[in-house]
Amino acid sequence: MSLLRAAVELEVIEEQNPDAKGTEQAFEGRTPWRLAWGRLKKDRVAMVSLGFIVFLFLVAIFAPLLTALIGHGPNTQYTTSGLSLSGIPVAPGHNGFLLGTDDQGRDVLSRIIYGSRISLEVGVGATALALVLGLVMGIVSGYYGGWIDSILARFMDILLSFPILLFAIAIVARFGPSLDLLIFVIAMFSWPYIGRLVRGQVIALREREFVEAARALGSSDVRIMFIEIAPNLIALAVIYATLLIPINIVTEATLSFLGLGVLPPTASWGNMIAEAQTGDLFTVAWWFLVFPCVALVLTTLAFNLLGDGLRDALDPRHGRSNITPTKRVKRAARSARREKDDSGGKRA
Amino acid sequence: MSTATQGDLAVDGTDAKVLLEVDDVVKHFPVRSGALIDRTHAKVRAVDGVSFSLKVGETLGLVGESGCGKSTLARLVTALHPVTSGHVRFRGQDITALNRRQMRPIRKSVQMVFQDPYGSLNPRRRVGSILSDPFSVHEKMSRAEVKRQVQELMARVGLSPEHYNRFPSEFSGGQRQRIGIARALALRPDLIVCDEPVSALDVSIQAQIINLLEDLQDEFMLTYVFIAHDLSVVRHVSDRIAVMYLGKLVETGPVEEIYSNSRHPYTASLLSAVPVADQAFRTARRERVILTGDVPSPVNPPSGCRFHPRCPKAQAICATQEPPLERKPGDPIGHLTACHFPVNPGEPLANASRDAAPAPAAVVGATEAVDQ
Repeated sequence: MSLLRAAVELEVIEEQNPDAKGTEQAFEGRTPWRLAWGRLKKDRVAMVSLGFIVFLFLVAIFAPLLTALIGHGPNTQYTTSGLSLSGIPVAPGHNGFLLGTDDQGRDVLSRIIYGSRISLEVGVGATALALVLGLVMGIVSGYYGGWIDSILARFMDILLSFPILLFAIAIVARFGPSLDLLIFVIAMFSWPYIGRLVRGQVIALREREFVEAARALGSSDVRIMFIEIAPNLIALAVIYATLLIPINIVTEATLSFLGLGVLPPTASWGNMIAEAQTGDLFTVAWWFLVFPCVALVLTTLAFNLLGDGLRDALDPRHGRSNITPTKRVKRAARSARREKDDSGGKRA
Repeated sequence: MSTATQGDLAVDGTDAKVLLEVDDVVKHFPVRSGALIDRTHAKVRAVDGVSFSLKVGETLGLVGESGCGKSTLARLVTALHPVTSGHVRFRGQDITALNRRQMRPIRKSVQMVFQDPYGSLNPRRRVGSILSDPFSVHEKMSRAEVKRQVQELMARVGLSPEHYNRFPSEFSGGQRQRIGIARALALRPDLIVCDEPVSALDVSIQAQIINLLEDLQDEFMLTYVFIAHDLSVVRHVSDRIAVMYLGKLVETGPVEEIYSNSRHPYTASLLSAVPVADQAFRTARRERVILTGDVPSPVNPPSGCRFHPRCPKAQAICATQEPPLERKPGDPIGHLTACHFPVNPGEPLANASRDAAPAPAAVVGATEAVDQ
């Protein structure tokens, strides 16, 4: 009681909240996304990966321009300049073919550039579709629980246990291969990964007090799901979408490799690899097998490394909101000290 | 279960309008288990027959240990949980049977302030957006009008309206609780249920928030249900107090009456636990009564009086017969106690002999005086 009285007297002094004005500058722009971007910027591996991915997107967008500059179309067979007299592909750097030619005398670099369009289209398109499906299904399943959840969760489990390749072969056999079908099939089998993660998060989020507060205000279920809960899932969605893109790119390559995806002569990294390894010409002319593989590996690696960096930066499992300011300062001091030690060690 | 009539429950001066009536409200949570088929094999009796009523402009302080059902009761009053049985009447209308659409006007008039100012604000939404929710859910207003209202609201609770675009993480605990209060206040409600609104805050900030709540009460004629376990806070804000133990009210009455003349041994022990800074204020009455043992599980509460295993005055009847919540001889109207052997004024509870009162399943050595 007397504690409280003392506090009431104190209040007169503290009425002007001390941190309201003085540190205005420090508070500026401290949104969750800015904080995450600040952390990501310090992650050199993630930033290099991000740079590579941006470069890849630019290449895909400006593919016609680039091939025009190179002077070789992706599907043109350069039978005179692209193949030697005995029909051996031209090695990298000869006759103006930077990465050489393939067994039909086509420019490998131009084909890789055009292949990046297919890879990104399928990777990003299928992932976007999977993301929308996964978010909606996961939110509905986790929020409502009960029999809705039982049905949706079982459905996701069934899809996850399906052999995607066998299913894709069956579908392509029925409808014939096409890019749209490819995107659809890949999305159908990748959304349950996101759906399951989202569902778990939503089950935790729906018990939070801010959801209760929204309910006390009379908010509708749809409003709670998509205005209260969904913004808290974006970090998770961004991370897993980044990690799902390379998986979907590889799936596309696999299906194209099996002749179920993009049909020749359209270039895709998957069917370039498939065509290259059919004969044994690659034992002499290694480049038209190796370069598409390198492109695929680098792209997959870049997306994976960026995804890891994003996970560290967005830190969804230890949400920053739970960390008290003192802990944050202590943690920052600790990492600063560690950084100093590290750089000191390197110099020595 | 209360046998008291409504007349007994209200404070005297009966001309004021009754705003809220809670009538024998029960909430049981099922305990489920089983891998394939859910089987209910037990239930948590979180709230087990609570009745009280509140008049316009009044503040009811609800106190009790953690886990005694205070917060559950708050969520029953605000209709966040459905009741198992009993009735909650707001302005005479039973809100326990209403569907979602019928509930909407009630939602405008009954609001809640939550305990944890870190958990009750969505970390991914800007404060302006959080505070515009009440308007976008209930009113049809232009964007500019909503913004004006929100900034007015922020100014009213002592926040800078320019901080409209900030995220909750950019505010201190006390400022966040102000945001929570602003949200509850937005639609000019009649009743605000405050679920431990200050227990997560520093003492100096607590006083600010309590003063804000009191100012707002005067300004908007608010009625509060104020839940807390800090007894000095409750004494400061409440007109009446209700003491809860294991899902039941054990004592209720006007605030000074409860503090100066507590009749239930549980209330007495609770009050004796309030720290007194100045030894000169210590009276003989304020001997420390230390309860031993833990609060029994609400899944399987003790028979008879739920407090009897820990009660220094318990006798055989306490284990078998549940005492009704009623006015004890000599008490003013409105002071109700659920006890077979209420504490008499000046009775040294700490020295109450247990030799003559061997209650079954009693915890031995329940009392101890701590005083130099």
